[in-house]
Amino acid sequence: MNASARLKELMNAHFAGVDRAARERTAPVAWCTSVGPVELLRALGYEVFFPENHGAMLGASRVANEVMGRAHALGYSPEICSYLTSDIGSYLLKKTPLQRHGLSGAPRADVLVYSTNQCREVRDWFEFYAREWNVPVVGVTSFRDIGEVETHHVDAIVRQLEALVPTLESVAGRRLDAARLEEAVGLSRTCSELWGSCLRAGASRPAPMTFFDGTIHMGPAVVLRGTREACDYYRLLDAELRERVRAGVGALPRERFRIYWDGMPVWGRLRDLAALFARLETSVVASTYCNSWIFDALDPADPLPSMARASLELFIARAEGPKERYLEARIEEFSVDGVIFHDSRTCPNNSNARFGMPQRLRKATGTPVLVIDGDLNDLRCYSDEQARTNIEGFVEQLEGAPPRATA
Amino acid sequence: MVVAGADIGTECVKAIVATDDGKVVGRASVPTRGYFQDCYQEALGNALAEAQAKLADLRATVVTGFGASCAPLATRTVAETLCHARGAFHHLHRPMTLVDIGGRDPRVLRVDAHGGVTSTRSVRKCAVGIGTFLMFTSRHLDVHPTRLMDLATTAERPAQVGSYCSVFAEVEVIELLRQGATAGEIALGAMYSIADRIMEMDRLDGTVSISGGVCEYFPGVSRALGERSGCPVEIVPEPIMAGALGAALYAIDAARGGQA
Repeated sequence: MNASARLKELMNAHFAGVDRAARERTAPVAWCTSVGPVELLRALGYEVFFPENHGAMLGASRVANEVMGRAHALGYSPEICSYLTSDIGSYLLKKTPLQRHGLSGAPRADVLVYSTNQCREVRDWFEFYAREWNVPVVGVTSFRDIGEVETHHVDAIVRQLEALVPTLESVAGRRLDAARLEEAVGLSRTCSELWGSCLRAGASRPAPMTFFDGTIHMGPAVVLRGTREACDYYRLLDAELRERVRAGVGALPRERFRIYWDGMPVWGRLRDLAALFARLETSVVASTYCNSWIFDALDPADPLPSMARASLELFIARAEGPKERYLEARIEEFSVDGVIFHDSRTCPNNSNARFGMPQRLRKATGTPVLVIDGDLNDLRCYSDEQARTNIEGFVEQLEGAPPRATA
Repeated sequence: MVVAGADIGTECVKAIVATDDGKVVGRASVPTRGYFQDCYQEALGNALAEAQAKLADLRATVVTGFGASCAPLATRTVAETLCHARGAFHHLHRPMTLVDIGGRDPRVLRVDAHGGVTSTRSVRKCAVGIGTFLMFTSRHLDVHPTRLMDLATTAERPAQVGSYCSVFAEVEVIELLRQGATAGEIALGAMYSIADRIMEMDRLDGTVSISGGVCEYFPGVSRALGERSGCPVEIVPEPIMAGALGAALYAIDAARGGQA
């Protein structure tokens, strides 16, 4: 993809910017969870670092398995989030792929801001650093397993967002400006729409971008949400994808089958899995994971309530019923031939194969499903051989399945 | 015309040589020890010898199993699930719930009226190595694996081996020995533990067909599965060879130049 060069520049500039702010004290630095209230931080002039992005880098570079043992030794179990254990291990051993971007380590925060809309681990993760650095940790304790998002849910989160403001203002040394918050929410909304448009290009046959490409291109939607740079990047990427669709250029030379991926990436095997699916002429055209940074509810005219609603409407925060309806809609939208559920050992909240959903989805849609065991970062929980044989067998099974109607 | 199919597994390499009308004319099984390539050559050579054929006579060779990548000159590789389903369907000619229990990775397959696989459920990663677990159990009980079944028949009740992790289960065997359980009770308990792991993988209904080497050498596992599930259990003829037979049938397709 031509946009990749710009992506690299943007990510390098992001890391350099937040590192410079931390070292030279040119701006306050906040850590924020990946689907946390970043717009408040942008409006207050923070440089924002996203440790889950760092966790993914630790996984993709396979540094994770070299360092997470140090976190286990500190009492952080191998059964909890391997982003957390990788990141804390990386901090303790001073070993990080950020060094390739010219940073000595993750930048020190002045404040840590979480939302538990995704899991409880993020809070425990941030509290470790709050103790290390003696800085405030604040956040939103969210609802989980939500059926329909109701007004009372939204109101409760708005109250918590409002309660964050005094601490964030105090650390930043400035008052929250309503116009700047509206601008940040507006930019997040635009970024979300453009990223959503990029992902919807995957509905075309052949799909111009795979899930594996998407996990890389989603970087700005995670770390630069609420900035103009992110919006500009997705305009560029969207235009390139539309051109590919117009020209009939697929991500793979041949696309025999189309797969939906639910759950986390196996970061340390991203390249291997991409090569495996390419060899099988099977395109992973869409995923729950990449779609998680689409926030339809954001509205600059109604900043805090819309931020609250967006954080609650996320797939990961929802009950089985809304999740199943969502997946059924994606199966139709992307004309997929099969669904793969990645049961990620240390990320139960992003693993949807534990309460019978694959079986119900298969029954409801007739779409073949496969569950593979693995983990986002901890490769001890992943068997290359088992995953490969299961995926190969699944694709060969699709060869014998009745064809689906094309979109 | 003859073709070959081979199932290169973690405990045994199985090879079949068949004529183009599906008649098996040579078969062999050798233990997997050392390099997969050597075991594959040995098994294929033995099957060819029984068929009174030479390597040059083979029109196509299809391989499957854990070590399939160690046979790079094969015409093609086909997934184990498909080979076991096809081998079993060749014998039984009906839709079935097929449980394939090999050395490493047991699976529950749904096979439709045409022999196609419609769903596959694998054991969770930490329970991989089920057949190999029985080999380890034999070692701890100080009997040859082929005698484990005889030992199990001496027990009135199975010892409780509950862990889903093969390594933990092996430790349980050692603990049971320390606690004074008889070797027969432990041998039978190990077989019931495999049945229990399979029961956790998928819902079993109707007649359950079983393929793979475990039920060839340890029929107590099949009996335990029938007892635990309440389903009639049927062992596929020559269960250890089902994968290799399926591979040979795919080789016939390949030799004919059709859909393989």
